[in-house]
Amino acid sequence: MNDVLSLQQRLQEQGYIAEPSLATTLLLMTEMGRPLLLEGEAGVGKTEIAKVMAQVHATRLIRLQCYEGLDVHSALYEWNYQRQLLAIKLLDNDERSVAEKEQDIFSERYLLKRPLLEAITTSPAPVLLIDEIDRADEAFEAYLMELLSDFQISIPELGTIRAVERPIVILTSNGTRELSDALRRRCLYQYVDYPSFDKELLIVETRVPDAPAKLARQVVEFVQSLRQMDLQKKPGIAETLDWAAALLRLGVSSFDDDGIARIMDSLSALVKTREDRASLTRVVVAKIAAAC
Amino acid sequence: MLTPASAADVAPSIVANSVVANSVVANSVVDLPAVLAARYIGFVGFLRENGLHVTTADGADSMDIAERMGQFNAPLLRWSLRALLCSRAEEWRRFDELFDAYFSPPNRQKVVETNAGGAGQLDLEQGDGAPGDRSEGAPLATATGEEGEDGDGTTAQHGASRDASLAQADFRHLNEPAQLQEMDALMRRFAQRLRQIQIRRDRQARTGQRIDMARTIRHSIARGGVPLDLAWRQKRRVRPRIVLLLDVSRSMSLYSFFYLRLARALSVLLSDVHCFIYHTRLVGVAEALRDPDPWRSQERLQLLSGGWAGGTRIGDCLTEFNQRYAGALLHSRCAVIIVSDGYDTGEPGRLVNALSRIRRRARRVVWLNPLASRPGFTPSSVGMQAAMPYLDLLAPGSDLASLERVFPQILQALQ
Repeated sequence: MNDVLSLQQRLQEQGYIAEPSLATTLLLMTEMGRPLLLEGEAGVGKTEIAKVMAQVHATRLIRLQCYEGLDVHSALYEWNYQRQLLAIKLLDNDERSVAEKEQDIFSERYLLKRPLLEAITTSPAPVLLIDEIDRADEAFEAYLMELLSDFQISIPELGTIRAVERPIVILTSNGTRELSDALRRRCLYQYVDYPSFDKELLIVETRVPDAPAKLARQVVEFVQSLRQMDLQKKPGIAETLDWAAALLRLGVSSFDDDGIARIMDSLSALVKTREDRASLTRVVVAKIAAAC
Repeated sequence: MLTPASAADVAPSIVANSVVANSVVANSVVDLPAVLAARYIGFVGFLRENGLHVTTADGADSMDIAERMGQFNAPLLRWSLRALLCSRAEEWRRFDELFDAYFSPPNRQKVVETNAGGAGQLDLEQGDGAPGDRSEGAPLATATGEEGEDGDGTTAQHGASRDASLAQADFRHLNEPAQLQEMDALMRRFAQRLRQIQIRRDRQARTGQRIDMARTIRHSIARGGVPLDLAWRQKRRVRPRIVLLLDVSRSMSLYSFFYLRLARALSVLLSDVHCFIYHTRLVGVAEALRDPDPWRSQERLQLLSGGWAGGTRIGDCLTEFNQRYAGALLHSRCAVIIVSDGYDTGEPGRLVNALSRIRRRARRVVWLNPLASRPGFTPSSVGMQAAMPYLDLLAPGSDLASLERVFPQILQALQ
């Protein structure tokens, strides 16, 4: 338990508020050397976890953003063809044997490392964030799984490259596509939910320290009740922080009548679709604000 | 499948184990490994019985975790095991309950009951299909309708292959358990074909936007190192996403099983299929359909679909779909396939509103109406009339043959 608390403490020092269950999982992940799969709504701070883990472990964060059509070349490595071509031309009059030349051309100098290769060759072990894995194709997912079990990559011209140290791997998913069972089985799992009132208040206090206590409380209560509403896109933590900062800038210190007008002006920091914006009329906002 | 009887048998022994673990272990070190094994492997088994995706290796891992994290710190143990043993949001939500049920004896009975309830439902559902068919009995003025009572006889008389006969029969005669399997197989082949079509189309792409340096250089060898013949690389064409919205209200009860089976066969073979069922509310069933165990899949469906075979409020359900799922799910390569007879008890305005929004987001909107295969069908129901302007295709879908005719059109639209 002490380990968990100390990790939680260290996370908080870096500005990330984690509940003990999340801290436990993060501890377990490093202890067991297993990848961690994070799922949850957009904007609950999944990506942030990876960033803060890199800070806590004082190491690099290597990020692979997945997208549709992501192929192995842009994720792993690519030969620098232009430089190779140039080298071939330059080596034309060289006395060395063909085999030697070839070895030279296919050496690491001409290898462009993409995130995955970089992650397993970096020391000390970095944090590898594979963001939104659900956007990548199944074929890529299958390949990734192989990598995550062996932590080695074979490049035909160079041979097999084995991980010096196992990176800390964090995968995130928004659930737009069902991931394969095999991948899920290989990972530890944490579902990240929208924060509770207390947690979100703590986050606002940590990240927007200038906000007066009363405003912070009201902002969080407002956002929390907004999440209960039938919105197309619910505000995430980033939105809460943006909004708190925006209100602070506008000089709002509490939600009175004058404040409501400012709230209306600053709502664009909080709701991001036209329909949602239309449903939040002045009357609705005043009602919610009054309850805060 | 866990029957109530076997659960009750297992329960006391495991409970006894955990009691032993709590009291005795502190003194006698000798018993520890055995007790640990029984306790955690038992827990993993218990989770499996309750439908979580766990493997045998998880048992050993949980013991490992328990030793690492300390067994007597309940919250820590709970969080650690949860991270290890859950693998999807749904399991994550159920875990706490199961953990409590297993490790704290008094609660245990409760979960056993829910399990038994599920098993009971299954039988009920099985029995439900057949009588429902006969009593509902909407007139079907086709020759196959009268012959369908005995599949074997029909094929013999027609001298056609068994597959062909199944493909022609109206689905309500296919709900008998003996024939379900064959139908599954037929669908499987059908979905396979769907897949093949797409792959073949993918390969035909010849040009691209990016030059493939590796192959260009290889080609250039023949030209003395001058890259005359360019090789191209193109992003692989991605298969369209299919979103199925199945009406399971009473008026559709003859066909809802067929469509669920189709959805299941599709979900197993293609990953990007998302299925929802709706009657008076909308339920996402993609995960339940993907369950590898067909019986458990049905059981989960049953649990999900409270109010099955009731009235329909298509407009409300589609609005709900828009609000909750459309944002994450629909994009420009999506085919939304709505299966319904169009008998809507809700307000037509809502349906129009919801459909127009789906229409704007998705690439194609296809409506399959089982009634449309009847001779003299016109889309005259209120729901259908409201929906017509927003549809790319209104197609009959009462049997495999008619569906087979429609699918190429859907695919073509998506290419």
